[in-house]
Amino acid sequence: MPAQHSPASIPFATLTEALAAAPDNRPFVTMWFDDDDARTYSFGEFKRWSNSQAVLFKEHGLGEGDTAILIMPQGVALMAAFAGAMLLGAVPSILAYPTFKVEPAKYRFGLAGVSANLNAKLVVVDDSFPQEFLESVSLGDQSNLIRVTSLPPISESDGLARVPREPQDLAFIQHSAGTTGLQKGVALSHGAVLRQLIHLGDSLKILPADRIYSWLPLYHDMGLIACFILPMVYHLHLVMQSPTDWVMQPAGMLHLISRYRCTLAWVPNFTLQFLARRVKPEDRKEYDLRSLRALINCSEPVRAESMDAFAGAFSDCGLPPTALQSSYAMAENVFAVTQSGINGATAPSRVWIDSSKYQSERIAVSVNRESESAPCFVSSGQCLPNNELRIVSESGEPLPEGHVGEILIRSDSMLTGYYNRPDLTSLSLRDGWYWSGDLGFVLDRELYVTGRKRDLIIVGGKNIYPQDLEEIACAHPLIHDGRAVAFGLYNPDLGTEEIVLVAETEELFDLGDPSLVEKTIRASIVAELGAAPRAIYLKPPRWIVKSTAGKAARSATREKLLAEHPELRMG
Amino acid sequence: MTDAGSQLIDYICKEVIRRPNVQLTVDTPLVSSGLIDSFSLVDVLTKLEEVTAMRIPAGKVQPKDMDTVSLMLSTARRIGKPKK
Repeated sequence: MPAQHSPASIPFATLTEALAAAPDNRPFVTMWFDDDDARTYSFGEFKRWSNSQAVLFKEHGLGEGDTAILIMPQGVALMAAFAGAMLLGAVPSILAYPTFKVEPAKYRFGLAGVSANLNAKLVVVDDSFPQEFLESVSLGDQSNLIRVTSLPPISESDGLARVPREPQDLAFIQHSAGTTGLQKGVALSHGAVLRQLIHLGDSLKILPADRIYSWLPLYHDMGLIACFILPMVYHLHLVMQSPTDWVMQPAGMLHLISRYRCTLAWVPNFTLQFLARRVKPEDRKEYDLRSLRALINCSEPVRAESMDAFAGAFSDCGLPPTALQSSYAMAENVFAVTQSGINGATAPSRVWIDSSKYQSERIAVSVNRESESAPCFVSSGQCLPNNELRIVSESGEPLPEGHVGEILIRSDSMLTGYYNRPDLTSLSLRDGWYWSGDLGFVLDRELYVTGRKRDLIIVGGKNIYPQDLEEIACAHPLIHDGRAVAFGLYNPDLGTEEIVLVAETEELFDLGDPSLVEKTIRASIVAELGAAPRAIYLKPPRWIVKSTAGKAARSATREKLLAEHPELRMG
Repeated sequence: MTDAGSQLIDYICKEVIRRPNVQLTVDTPLVSSGLIDSFSLVDVLTKLEEVTAMRIPAGKVQPKDMDTVSLMLSTARRIGKPKK
């Protein structure tokens, strides 16, 4: 008889208490590169490694309340450094490791800004971190920068007493995936993180036998919270690949879930679509997904077609019909705000919406799914315990159910503030509510996220979502998948916004007749959305500005396009 | 240029970039230039195994090892094992 879930309770006041209480011989992290190169570290080994890092960091001046920056490749060394800093009562922050594709000037700019804001006492990089970027790290007079090895310690350090912390003390700082200017440092307390994990554990009915699979980067909230801190606190086994390894062998995710009988995983929406298309039918039979009780679609808008593609592709692999779930999450709430499949529901709800009412009045009215042109929305689930949502208008007035507005969040697991940025904190945290900048509506307690507030285009009173325009553009065979950005540009002569779209073509040289591509995209937009773009620009690969999380940055791309095409500003 | 290099370039032009007439050399940056996406490397790796008759463990390959056709071939020589 399977173990029954008891209401989650975490009898620890801090994250380091939880780690200290973990049974030494229990497996914690399996770091997998391929079947000939995988290593499992027990909680005991991890604790010793963390302790060793703490001793090293202390020797270099890191202490209670100090911030520490960690820039290391995905792996157990990075996790041990993170835990080691927390053992000292310090406040670590993981930054994205530079890849060979990164634009050096952009990386240097971001690194300089973030390090200046954090004013870190210690900056920790690995052996291979490029020297050219170290000059951009902002160091105070009392700060140090050290390189550490990626290998576990050979000998054990002398015991280090864990510095006691209080629940309200800062545990770590999580950075948002910013593009231009400074990324915002989301400062989170031990208490907030533990409360989130209690609510999430309860909602997911976490069991000691649960095993998590992840390829997610640790500098992103989904990877850090769901796939490092959660298993650390609940003493669960984590099977991990690095994101760069996963991209070279994406089916490795299915292989590892099968091999290690993983029960939980979190992925962005595109992963489901990607695997459904990439893994050939004849190769699918080697995977056994029966253990997977929840594969949670999170961090991007949830798309019905992606969920269906994955479910259809892998149903013969034993994928349980209730495995595919969804969640709405953000670093400012530690992680999850909503979760599907809870409170008696078995799957994310779907609703088909009256298209006309949605575009003109911003109201989601449910219609029959066979209704012509009715867009389908997939819910991100219902609120976790002690989490509340409010949908508000532009002026901040609460809106009725079904009305589209900005999503506000209130919970007992929210950020303490944006580190060293009280100005940004006061803009986003008002009267206890966090203003997310996301748009959505609620129907029957289910949250449906529709997009980002700042990006919505309003053309002659009609609401057009940039994502919809971008999807249409990317459906063209000559447009690089995922590389289109749409935005609105106000025309004072018309008194309304106009649509501008920029897309990267597959071709690096000789576009042939670009007007044919533009005409096709334009015709599709008019046909599907009833709006004509003012301008469509075709650009070569890598033209669109991307964030550190790899997403297209609309604001930055918009500015770049306006700089290159000043004629746009003239109306 | 080796036969394997020609086959790879031909495959990349026709099946990945989908422009048979584009001019690539063995040293043209492919991923770092944005000409091909990291997610296309899965298919390119399969082709690399085919043209070199090597089994190449994906777990030991990083996207930067596949940025040019030259790098791909040297990666195959470095870590590939002959297919039986």
